[in-house]
Amino acid sequence: MPQQLIKVARPTKIELIKLRRRLVLATRIQKIIKDRVSILILEFLQIARQTVETKRALLEEFSEGYKALSIAAGYHGYIALEKELIASEKDLAIAGGLRNVGGVRIPAFELKEEEGALRGYSLVDTSSWLDQAARLSGKCLETIVELAELQRSLELLGKEINRTKRILNALEYLIIPSLQATIKYLYMKFEERDREEKSRLKRVKVLLERR
Amino acid sequence: MADELPYDRILRECLKSELRVINAHLPSKQKPLSDLLSEEYPHVLCRDGSTHLFKRKELKYLADLLDAEEQKELSLPILIGVVAGVGEIVILCPGVVEEKVISKILDMPLTRGQKGIVIYKPQLAIIRKLLRTTTQYLFPPKL
Repeated sequence: MPQQLIKVARPTKIELIKLRRRLVLATRIQKIIKDRVSILILEFLQIARQTVETKRALLEEFSEGYKALSIAAGYHGYIALEKELIASEKDLAIAGGLRNVGGVRIPAFELKEEEGALRGYSLVDTSSWLDQAARLSGKCLETIVELAELQRSLELLGKEINRTKRILNALEYLIIPSLQATIKYLYMKFEERDREEKSRLKRVKVLLERR
Repeated sequence: MADELPYDRILRECLKSELRVINAHLPSKQKPLSDLLSEEYPHVLCRDGSTHLFKRKELKYLADLLDAEEQKELSLPILIGVVAGVGEIVILCPGVVEEKVISKILDMPLTRGQKGIVIYKPQLAIIRKLLRTTTQYLFPPKL
């Protein structure tokens, strides 16, 4: 593909110096952006792996939790269990904020736990089966919050990788080659001028000798 | 000579903002681990005015690795410098506590260079997996 030249006002040495400076800057920025993309991809892959692991863990926890709950329901009976669990309803507290990965703002969530807090149901009237079910559902909640963070992170990182790659491609395949082509063009122009100057001088010399 | 490409100017602006964006998240001031552990919502303020939240789980993990004196010396977030074009990662550490933490996480002795601890990408993945919020990337134009 022929490289397009950048518009320069006049083919002078000053323009050449300016272009060379721009090329150095563009190359440096290209290196930084390349590193950024590789870091973003590293993070993306790591989060993708973690998302898969967390999803698998969540499914296992759900199946364990439902198993424990059905055993508890069988032991106490549905009506008694429902009566006990009415009082155990409470609001969740989630601490939310942002963290930054290579210029991408990613949400960070954390389930706030009250240490040593009671679950809300009577420990006298219930069995350890219900305790087990409550413990497992608590674990499920934690994993759900973690999964929400991971999935949103994946989306945001994916978008940013796309955007940065587009900039990197523009630099790699358009800006830097066109700068290089323009610099080359200016060099050729100067050489041409030198040759013209040399032949002019020769011509003048011949004319002077004739006189 | 061919006309200037219509998006050449836009791209130039993009590049400028790109450099601004990648380092805007750096903390205006790092905080010691001991202080963060006592905060209800452990966080630091960033240069762009946003807040960076630390996960309590990670802080507790770090606290388990260090004694009380070292907890006061460890400034968070730990800055990880990415050297352009080389593929080397430099962990900027003013003290020895960071070195101890990284060494324990990687389970290997580390040598400290002039700029900081030099590690490579596979090791970086291990560190970032464990310390997601307590480490931050830094893209220095020249390191």
